[in-house]
Amino acid sequence: MAKTQTWLYRAFALSVTATLITACGGATTTPTPAGSGPASTGPAATVDTSAAKKGGTIYVLTQAKVWNQVDPQRIYTGEDLAFFGGTIMRGLTAYKFSPDAAEGTSLVPDMATDLGKATDGGKTWAFTLRDGVTWQDGTDVTCADIKYGVSRTFADNVINQGPTYASVYLDIPTVQGFAKKKDGSVKPTSALAFYGPLKYNKNLKIFSDEALTKPIPNDPSTYDKAVTCDGKTITFHLNKPIADFNYTVTLGFGAVREKDDTGETYGTVAPFTISNGPYKVESYTTGNGGKMVLVRNENWKPESDPYRKAYPDKWEVDFGVDPKVLDQRIMASAGNDATAIQYGQIQPENLGVIFTDPDNTTAKYKGRAISGFDPYSRYYWINVNKVPNVKIRQAMAVALDRAAIRLNIGGAFAGAFADGLVKPNIGGDYKATGLWTDFFGKPVPDGGDPELAKKLINESGVPAPKLVFNFADTPVNQKTAAIVIASLGKAGITVTPAPLEPGKYYSIVFDPAASGDFGTGGWGADWPNASTVLPPLLTQAGGWDLSQLDDPAVNAAIEAGLTELDRTKQMAKWQEINKSAAENMYTIPTFFGLSQTIGGTKVGPLYRWAAYGSWPYGEMYVTK
Amino acid sequence: MVGRSLRQIVWARLRRDKVAMLCLFIVTFMYAVAIFGPFIGGFFGLDPYKLDTATISDLGGRPVLPNGGISPQHPLGVEWGTGRDIFAQLIFGLRISLVIATSATFITVVLGTVIGIVAGYTGGLTDTLMGRLMDLILAFPFLLIILALSGVLTQRLTNLGVPEGNPSRILYLILVFSVFGWPYLARIVRGQVLSLREREFVEAAVAMGARRRRILFSEILPNLWAPILVYATLTLPAYIGLEAAVSFLGVGVLPPETTFGAMLANSVNYMNVVPTYLFIPGTVLVVLVVSFNLFGDAVRDALDPKAIH
Amino acid sequence: MAAYLVRRVLLMISLLLILSVAVFLLFNMLPGDPARLTCGKSCTEAVIEQNRQRLGYDDPPLTQYVKFMSGIFTGRVFSPESPEPIVCAAPCLGYSFNRHEQVLSLIVRAAPVTFWLAIGAFIIWIAVGVSLGIFAALRRGRWPDRLVLGVSLIGYSLPSFFFGLLLMFFVVIQWQWLPYPSYVSPFEDPVGFLQTMILPWIVLAILYAAFYMRLTRNQVLEVFNDDFVRTARAKGLPERTVVVKHALRAGLTPIVTAAGLDLAGLLGGAIISENIFNLPGLGALSVESITNSDLPLITGITLLTASLIIVANFIVDLLYAVVDPRVRLV
Repeated sequence: MAKTQTWLYRAFALSVTATLITACGGATTTPTPAGSGPASTGPAATVDTSAAKKGGTIYVLTQAKVWNQVDPQRIYTGEDLAFFGGTIMRGLTAYKFSPDAAEGTSLVPDMATDLGKATDGGKTWAFTLRDGVTWQDGTDVTCADIKYGVSRTFADNVINQGPTYASVYLDIPTVQGFAKKKDGSVKPTSALAFYGPLKYNKNLKIFSDEALTKPIPNDPSTYDKAVTCDGKTITFHLNKPIADFNYTVTLGFGAVREKDDTGETYGTVAPFTISNGPYKVESYTTGNGGKMVLVRNENWKPESDPYRKAYPDKWEVDFGVDPKVLDQRIMASAGNDATAIQYGQIQPENLGVIFTDPDNTTAKYKGRAISGFDPYSRYYWINVNKVPNVKIRQAMAVALDRAAIRLNIGGAFAGAFADGLVKPNIGGDYKATGLWTDFFGKPVPDGGDPELAKKLINESGVPAPKLVFNFADTPVNQKTAAIVIASLGKAGITVTPAPLEPGKYYSIVFDPAASGDFGTGGWGADWPNASTVLPPLLTQAGGWDLSQLDDPAVNAAIEAGLTELDRTKQMAKWQEINKSAAENMYTIPTFFGLSQTIGGTKVGPLYRWAAYGSWPYGEMYVTK
Repeated sequence: MVGRSLRQIVWARLRRDKVAMLCLFIVTFMYAVAIFGPFIGGFFGLDPYKLDTATISDLGGRPVLPNGGISPQHPLGVEWGTGRDIFAQLIFGLRISLVIATSATFITVVLGTVIGIVAGYTGGLTDTLMGRLMDLILAFPFLLIILALSGVLTQRLTNLGVPEGNPSRILYLILVFSVFGWPYLARIVRGQVLSLREREFVEAAVAMGARRRRILFSEILPNLWAPILVYATLTLPAYIGLEAAVSFLGVGVLPPETTFGAMLANSVNYMNVVPTYLFIPGTVLVVLVVSFNLFGDAVRDALDPKAIH
Repeated sequence: MAAYLVRRVLLMISLLLILSVAVFLLFNMLPGDPARLTCGKSCTEAVIEQNRQRLGYDDPPLTQYVKFMSGIFTGRVFSPESPEPIVCAAPCLGYSFNRHEQVLSLIVRAAPVTFWLAIGAFIIWIAVGVSLGIFAALRRGRWPDRLVLGVSLIGYSLPSFFFGLLLMFFVVIQWQWLPYPSYVSPFEDPVGFLQTMILPWIVLAILYAAFYMRLTRNQVLEVFNDDFVRTARAKGLPERTVVVKHALRAGLTPIVTAAGLDLAGLLGGAIISENIFNLPGLGALSVESITNSDLPLITGITLLTASLIIVANFIVDLLYAVVDPRVRLV
């Protein structure tokens, strides 16, 4: 994700945004990235709730003009998952509220009575609903509601941009047929037999004959076999064993009542009927001055929900707040702003005022400003078809002045130097790759080593290339581009900048015909398993393969990792793939991102919740 | 008594106007700095591209010294996050600002004059069509169009063989300013031509069977240079300001290159912490633009001292 | 007169049509795959293809144009596969999938802000510009005249966005005379409204005020030289009557028409003021739509504002014809 701090910035990188979760399975201590840098700072690990009171309003201030999505099947931004999960949308399971990274990414049951029962070696998962879980009108949330909600994922003609684990993991058969391609040719193609609820009218335009006369219809019976309801128990049948499927159900597995489902506009327009949590939506307007107001849902029964604390009476999300003003207001913390929290990041010019270093705040902001890992690993993808020579790719990485780039995006506040795609706070899947320390026989300085780069170019047997560098066109990125050009230039590599409109960045770099040779990228894990990092970034099937890598050996290694059921062995496999990806330099790992946020003086608990790299919305309160 | 040409008269009047001469001096000086500054400065080690990471803090990228890092090495301070020298950037930025404004003014004036003369002299259908075209162009909210089209048209220019990056971006600005700028001048010129073509000397030329091109450009054009000159001296500073404005809105040259506009646009982010980022390029910009305008005014007065301007 | 009117209306309609084609072509040939934007992380070619069809991006440009134009008159349905499709009633300018809202309703919501901004600035610039212009004209050549001319020169020399930043820096950040601007409706909180709008008004007004000072001064001086004023003076009418009744009335007519056009064309200036002062008007909305590559929104705003200028042009022309009998109605 492009790091952008301009006043024009709107959270545009929605589709990239995934959640990052720290440490899974066995409790690991908070890991520290290779080199230097903090992992997480903030208040002590135990949360003191003695100051909490029932009542009051918490204000969420954001410069965004609109929610990316307000639909349980489409929300895919960490902060949004945390906000809606804590207020109006319940899931089968949820992450525990805790400032501790390991505990904060451990699962607790939510609507389900337990963390799910796996049978058939992890191919079948069953969850039983608690009693008393209701919609805001008081009617029960049923197994059918969850089943219907999950089925919407398949209607990706409308329900798009969200997580797609349901369609990837559920045991839905594939149909073979023919389809017309963009260039007019007819090609054999395959698709899932289920197209989502019938009322979505998804028309895949797949035909059973080459003349394209017999369309293959939607087959909901396949879904009815994959997801079954038995009273209050919902059972998911998967196409392969998934050891941590109970983590998967935190993403896109929310309940939706069929009669409420308006499709495209679900959740965004009145009447708001979508809540099954402690709050309900009272109003929602977008743009500068726009607000979403949540008020208490009287039909929510605390005894059915031991997870959410539901302290405040009201939540108010204020959209379109000028980022400068936003910082100033929360820093001053006057009036209503005392119970306000920041959605987004502190502006760079204020970092030096609020923090003495990335680990410590100044006395004035003690306990209410947070500096910690954000969900992302940042990297520069290299199109391996355009830059096929591995030595050249290594030369690019070695020549890159990562120190100056880091300084430009905020220095120590921006993050630690990355040594691979997998971020240390994922837990056991991370192991230092030794990329910058050992791999080239000697340490590569953070400021780059042009001589070593020249040597690598000599060894490559091809001349130093002329490359085109893509980045989202923002002032900070522009300066970064200048550093990239200068530092690669020292090694003899000519770089031309090709800035892209921020809102279109990913749509352009995904098209190999339109994209340059290398460019900026960022990725966060969906849950604490590198299966949500390495496959998306390194395989065509994964969906975020900006490097255009399609290497049989890599594909095979990834498949082996995905199907490995023994978690310890899987960790070793991911570590190996991460290391080899770094050495082959499909991407140049740059930073393990840090970010800084601030809250008012009368709101708590203020800590970075490792599950989503966000505030712990579900247990936040106004102080007495 | 020896008759003096209009040019001599105007110059004599201008020379008496102290303010105008001061402005002329400033404008000339700025052009000199833009043209020679980088050479001379380079000789003294002035380098706008050189990162000086020692001058900025690792904690957020802020210049270590107060006032944006003003020091003997960096008399006007350093850039946030990179430590590049502001003084050097200012001198190199002046060059690009002036290149854009001067070229765009030149094209605007040529387009506006030619179309205005043709429309005004030919009249009839040509005049009507030109008039509607001007209406259409003037109807577009052009600041919005400049922003919206920058991506696609810059790309087009690159595809046409203009080097990628800043050359394309600069050329885009020059062209788009010209395309939206000419109708104003064309209207003025057309009006002048309408009255000129009824004058005796033109009628005489027509009666003598002079070619149309000769009439247009040898008889009519020389009578237009006064309004054109005035218009040009007022357009040029307007374009300098416009470049700054579009740069502020996100369309402009890329670092390491810079312009006044880019520097000011950057300053917005750090305004409440390092106000010198705003004041330094802003002051130079205002001095330059005011000098141009004052000089343009003086030229107008000198051309027509009885006028009520 | 009727023939003239019909001709002008036809001309206006044809201009509007040409304009719509121009806008549509300009914006629909932008690079990047709009369909890709609708598709998230686990995107496949099939989904992109599907969305391309759903949003109509696979249609030839002409079809897209016809659909767009017919939408304005008959309404459109977006996302027809959705259980409850988005019905965009006429006049439909499109649907912003980015903001989950119809383009027209976004524009309608933003328009009052720009309206207030424009009206306030308009009042300031006319009041200041015209009165100082008359003042200067009446004291031609003396120091008040020079002062006004000097002020006007500085006024139109100051790049308006730099002036805006200066005001923001001193008045809001440094001296803290005003709070950070945050728009409120004048009906909800008049004081807050004034506090927010005063700086943007000044920034937007200053350029025009400077221009109108000169325009007014020159117009008035020109009229003073006209025969009818001389006649009035010769008749021995009091100077006051000459100035107010004769000179000003005749001299200000062109200023009023110019002002009408400038008011319609304010969006350009509004973009800068609104962005500096974080006002949620059309200018800010248009910049936002460009940053987010929100194609339907950009097209809608451009078309609407450009049409506004053309229509204003038409009205001013008509008024001119009515007011000034010298214009030949042929």
